[in-house]
Amino acid sequence: MVEKYSSRLYWHIRRLVILHEDADDALQNTFINAWRSIGRFRSESSLYTWLYTIATNEALALINKRKKNAAVSLDDVGDIFASSHEGSTWFDGDEAQVKLQNAILKLPEKQRIVFNLKYFDEMTYEEMSGVLKTSEGALKASYHHAVKKIEKMLGGD
Amino acid sequence: MKKISEIPGKNPFKIPVNYFEEVNRKIISATTGINGESKKISPYHRLRPYLAIAASVAVLIVAVYFAVRLLSPVKTSTSVSELLNSDYSESYFNDIDIRSLEESAASVDLYDEMPDVSNKEIIDYLLLDDIEISDIYDHL
Repeated sequence: MVEKYSSRLYWHIRRLVILHEDADDALQNTFINAWRSIGRFRSESSLYTWLYTIATNEALALINKRKKNAAVSLDDVGDIFASSHEGSTWFDGDEAQVKLQNAILKLPEKQRIVFNLKYFDEMTYEEMSGVLKTSEGALKASYHHAVKKIEKMLGGD
Repeated sequence: MKKISEIPGKNPFKIPVNYFEEVNRKIISATTGINGESKKISPYHRLRPYLAIAASVAVLIVAVYFAVRLLSPVKTSTSVSELLNSDYSESYFNDIDIRSLEESAASVDLYDEMPDVSNKEIIDYLLLDDIEISDIYDHL
């Protein structure tokens, strides 16, 4: 289970928390919590979506914790790197990539998750519905709004 | 407005060399000593099906008992004549062994029990009660 899913879950978490250190912590917590609560896993949902749900919750818990303690804005990649020990060591995006990441960070939390799952992980709305416990129609609307906002932000620069 | 599809899909994030091998090893090591949570079932929930069966059987027995009581005729009193006519009285008399009764009776000598009194003494005794002697002789 760890070897099969660790890579996909890491990248999902990393796009949400940005920093490698945070993604590393959240990934380990995801598997430890999944292992502890394996008795609550219902076979009707796939292991893949169940793990994604735990990973998303871990990432959001970490973001909220960071928001409480942060002295700087968390909707800018540069600021986030500046506030961490690792800096931008584990980031090599060009200017366009930085702009895209900044635009994504400015989205509301739910739209941000939906956008990442669809755009980067290429997850279907059906799978996403299992992860986020939201109807497919609402997810499509969220993604549509997220894309429009990002395009607007990118065009405004 | 710039289209999102115009942004190259390159992943801007980097990871340390052999990161996944390392982290997989860490995770497996961390979860080795942890017992996965199993579904805890209370004794009540475990025994509930059996309790339900036992309760159903008990209700069925009570229902059958009362149904039999209600449907069967009940005798409120029994007369002496009914008792005498009942199978019990018949069987009681039927159980007497007539042959053994006759043998018992034959073994008793009634004359041995009688006092030794002559006819004359009897006549004298009866005359004391003003009975006519002709009546006595008629009965002898």
